[in-house]
Amino acid sequence: MNAWIIAIVTVIVAPFIGGLLAGIDRRITARLQGRFGPPILQPFYDFFKLLGKTRIAASRLQFIWIYGYLVFMVTALLFLVLKLDLLLLVFVIGFAGVSFALGGFSSKSPYSHIGANRELMQMLAYEPVLLLFALGVFAQNGSFLISEIFNNPTPLLARLWPIFIALLVVLTIKLRKSPFDLATSHHGHQELIKGIMTEYSGPYYALIQLTEWYEYVLLLGLVFIFWANPWWAGLIVAAIAYILELFIDNITARMTVGWAVKFVWSVGLVLCVLNLIYFWLLPIKGVS
Amino acid sequence: MGIIATSRLKSPWIMHFDNSSCNGCDIEVLACLTPLYDVERFGIVNMGNPKHTDVLVVTGPVNRRTARVLKNLYEQIPGPKMVIAVGTCGISGGVFHNCYNVLGGVDQVVPVDVYVPGCAARPEAIIDGVVLALQKLAKLQGVAL
Amino acid sequence: MDYNWMMAVAILLPVVAAILVYILRQYHVRGFIVVVTAIALIINSILFLLKGAQTFTPANAQLWDTVVTVLDYLILLFYIYAGISLKNWLVLIFALTQIVPLAYFEFGMGGKAALEAINPTFVVDHLAIVMTLVISIVGSLICIWAIRYMYDHEHHNKIEKSRQPRFFFWLVLFLGAMNGLVFANNLIYLYFFWEVTTLVCFQLIAHDLNKEAVDNAARALWMNSIGGTGLILAMIYLFVKVGPDSLSVAKIISGGIAPALLLLPVALLCFTGMIKAAQMPFQTWLLGAMVAPTPVSALLHSSTMVKAGVYLVVRLAPAFAGTKLGIMVALVGAFTFMAASGLAISQTTGKRVLAYSTIANLGLIIACAGINTPLSISAAILLIIFHAVSKGLMFLCAGTIEHIVWSREIDDMEGLAAKAPMTTTIFTIGVLSMFLPPFGMLLAKWMALEASFTIPLAGILFVIASAATLVFWAKWLGRLLQVLPKLGSKIESLSLSYTVPLWVLVLSIFGLGLGVGPVYEGLVKNAVANVIASGQALTTSATGIVVNGVSAVSSNPSFAVGSYPVWPLFAVFAIGILIPFIFVAIKPGELRPVYLCGEQVEGTDSDEWYSTADAKTKVQLGGFYFKGALGEAALNPWTYTLSIALLVIMFGVVFLAIGGAI
Repeated sequence: MNAWIIAIVTVIVAPFIGGLLAGIDRRITARLQGRFGPPILQPFYDFFKLLGKTRIAASRLQFIWIYGYLVFMVTALLFLVLKLDLLLLVFVIGFAGVSFALGGFSSKSPYSHIGANRELMQMLAYEPVLLLFALGVFAQNGSFLISEIFNNPTPLLARLWPIFIALLVVLTIKLRKSPFDLATSHHGHQELIKGIMTEYSGPYYALIQLTEWYEYVLLLGLVFIFWANPWWAGLIVAAIAYILELFIDNITARMTVGWAVKFVWSVGLVLCVLNLIYFWLLPIKGVS
Repeated sequence: MGIIATSRLKSPWIMHFDNSSCNGCDIEVLACLTPLYDVERFGIVNMGNPKHTDVLVVTGPVNRRTARVLKNLYEQIPGPKMVIAVGTCGISGGVFHNCYNVLGGVDQVVPVDVYVPGCAARPEAIIDGVVLALQKLAKLQGVAL
Repeated sequence: MDYNWMMAVAILLPVVAAILVYILRQYHVRGFIVVVTAIALIINSILFLLKGAQTFTPANAQLWDTVVTVLDYLILLFYIYAGISLKNWLVLIFALTQIVPLAYFEFGMGGKAALEAINPTFVVDHLAIVMTLVISIVGSLICIWAIRYMYDHEHHNKIEKSRQPRFFFWLVLFLGAMNGLVFANNLIYLYFFWEVTTLVCFQLIAHDLNKEAVDNAARALWMNSIGGTGLILAMIYLFVKVGPDSLSVAKIISGGIAPALLLLPVALLCFTGMIKAAQMPFQTWLLGAMVAPTPVSALLHSSTMVKAGVYLVVRLAPAFAGTKLGIMVALVGAFTFMAASGLAISQTTGKRVLAYSTIANLGLIIACAGINTPLSISAAILLIIFHAVSKGLMFLCAGTIEHIVWSREIDDMEGLAAKAPMTTTIFTIGVLSMFLPPFGMLLAKWMALEASFTIPLAGILFVIASAATLVFWAKWLGRLLQVLPKLGSKIESLSLSYTVPLWVLVLSIFGLGLGVGPVYEGLVKNAVANVIASGQALTTSATGIVVNGVSAVSSNPSFAVGSYPVWPLFAVFAIGILIPFIFVAIKPGELRPVYLCGEQVEGTDSDEWYSTADAKTKVQLGGFYFKGALGEAALNPWTYTLSIALLVIMFGVVFLAIGGAI
């Protein structure tokens, strides 16, 4: 029963946290640019306004994939809070991402097409790092289960800090911040219109926003578990990471897909591999 | 519905379309988006995509070619939507009103809710026009702005 | 049922059916024979499952030994003839490198007597039962699908004198050869069935008889002949160095022979298996084989024949457990997995994407065999099962699509969701089942990754490959979904010969995926025990699977390493994808044209826009293939160099170990 209560509370509360994070994002970004910026509750106003738009569509298929995107993202978040298998969590995030990309493919629209292909290339860039993150956790704990991270008095950050840096790069991509805001961007409409989200509007665009709020909580949760004991240390790490992302967004320009894959693989993958080599040189307990 | 009605007033996303303007009004529209005037504090964001728009901001006189484009874009905007015609050219054709290819102001093609005169219209006037559009929307919905 | 009859149905019935199909040349009679044979094989394989592990030596062993010997040399003489008549010196050379050592071994060194003394001839353990279920069920479905496919194929290409009898002769015969291969314990029987599959492969790839087909068939022949040579050399080495009774698979893996003596023959046998499974640098024969009609690609080159190669490597895993040879086997497999997945992104032809994906997944299975822990072997066997089903479905879908749009290019399949909704739906399920949770392929891949830290470099290669797989699958599926804003597409009508196998495979994907717990407990667990004795890797529960092991952190000594909730994830899939698919509906008034900067020609479903001078131009979307970075021209220099290096190191490690340096 306990697990069900945690699950229901998460599903209800996480969008509020995610929306506030999005609002704080816009506010801080505005201040960094020397202007006032919208109120922190702005994302919620946007969400409700979108719900009130009349529904239009470019195909029936688009909507199916957006439901998939939402449901799998929520599932991934539930995997995190219920402390299940981290490797499987990465694959569930993968399904959410693929579902979103397929939604972008579901209409014969040039901008959507470019956005969807770029989204897949972004996934190509960050997926190895996320999977090696799970392997790194196994290397330290001898288990892929998130519950073991909480049981371990040594924080992940102590011996997995190279993977942590790689994960920050992945976080930049997943939060759609420059230089990786390639598939869809807050500022890219002269290049891409809205990229993969071009053909979505009204209620379904609101669903995408909702899914992104769940994603913010999920991603910052993955940062949080790097210092799970005590929990307030993890919150501080997550907060610092988020502010860092905002700064990176504001000081960089959008790059290209090829550059993104090369950069993440040369920096992120190499850091992860070095981290794993470190563990391979140590003896590990409890591997069957 | 109250929360949706209120949210519509607090989050008007615009799309800016230039018919065949001299770009004078366009620069003033863009100026509104800069930190100096900062319309994002009202929730206004420039989405370049009609499917994400609530308010269509149109500049320049309508000619035969852009009439087709403007109609196509207007039909892709999901309701409820508002149209603001910015600048004298958008209202009546301005200095170009009797050229052979000019059909007149924006209201020859799409229904316009707010007219913002000026050549070029000042950013303060443009912001005033957006507020007028929101007041009109509020009255239509029966909510206070 | 009497075991004699079961073995006869498994190996000899397809031969009889093949001859009948060749003699009786009428379309409907042929279809009937194929369907009856299919049903018989499927029921027979289930009987094997119920009977459990057995050994078998045929009653007139002498007679069968003679038959095998005679047919062996006939096949090799045919290869020599093929090499001469096609003027292909590689085919000729590698036929000679087989026939000369084999003849000398059997008649000059006394090998024949030793081979006849090997007992039992066939060993049917649980791993073999897994293979025969896959061969009989998936293989039979493909043969049924082929009935209508070949008819349409010849119709479309306006072939006047039907060559379908010849095609189905080889196709049905192949099923018997595969059953024989997986049951074989006596190495000469293994070699015989191995060569029959190579021969069938040659005949079927060359079926269309144009230059391209014959060239690719010849390439498949000489590459697999290298494998055959390896098998013969392994037999000779075992006979000379170990003893006459070592010419049996069961003896090799029993643990009764000193590991140092086994290294070279096992390396040679793994090498043979790797060539059959088209591992790098031998992948070009499989890619070239894609020119053949699609049933060939589905049956031989994804579900079944290439599985013989990985089957041999998995079977031999006990023999190289704990050795550096095992590590090298894992690295060869993992490297192929990574390289093939990357290359698949740049392919513009659907079947070549499927071919690279097959090569990649076979590499993963071999890598799991190399890692050699109970968990990784479980992953390998689950991969064999799930890959055969899912990839078989994918090839059948590709073939069905080919007969709808009459093209194999991905860009010609754009917007198929409107033209052929049923096929697109089946294709979507096939693609999703290849690489996403909750389906069985992902479960097995997850398991492989959980086991991979034993050889961390393999884990790193796995991870890069996993990322690449999602790109090329989603990219291809996406192209099919690119439809114009229009409603009311009719469900296309297809022959039952197409739809029945497709839907049976779709239902199998869901059934096996949901029932992976019982599948593991009832079958796979025992098959794993045939390969690796220590420990139970997994515990199945009502809802899912838990990986056993001791976490380094918890004080509870039996705490788990990983968990996979199968049923909850299927429920999530149903809620997220299936239910919206059924219930989401759009009213016609809601459709709007796609955004083309306002330049669209009138009409919501218009795909034209006004270009310069108001010229109406069609919207054209092109697929992204990244040929500059991931194309064959860009990557092949690297893949050939590194894969050849890995093989050289693999044999180098073996020779050093024999020399006593390691």
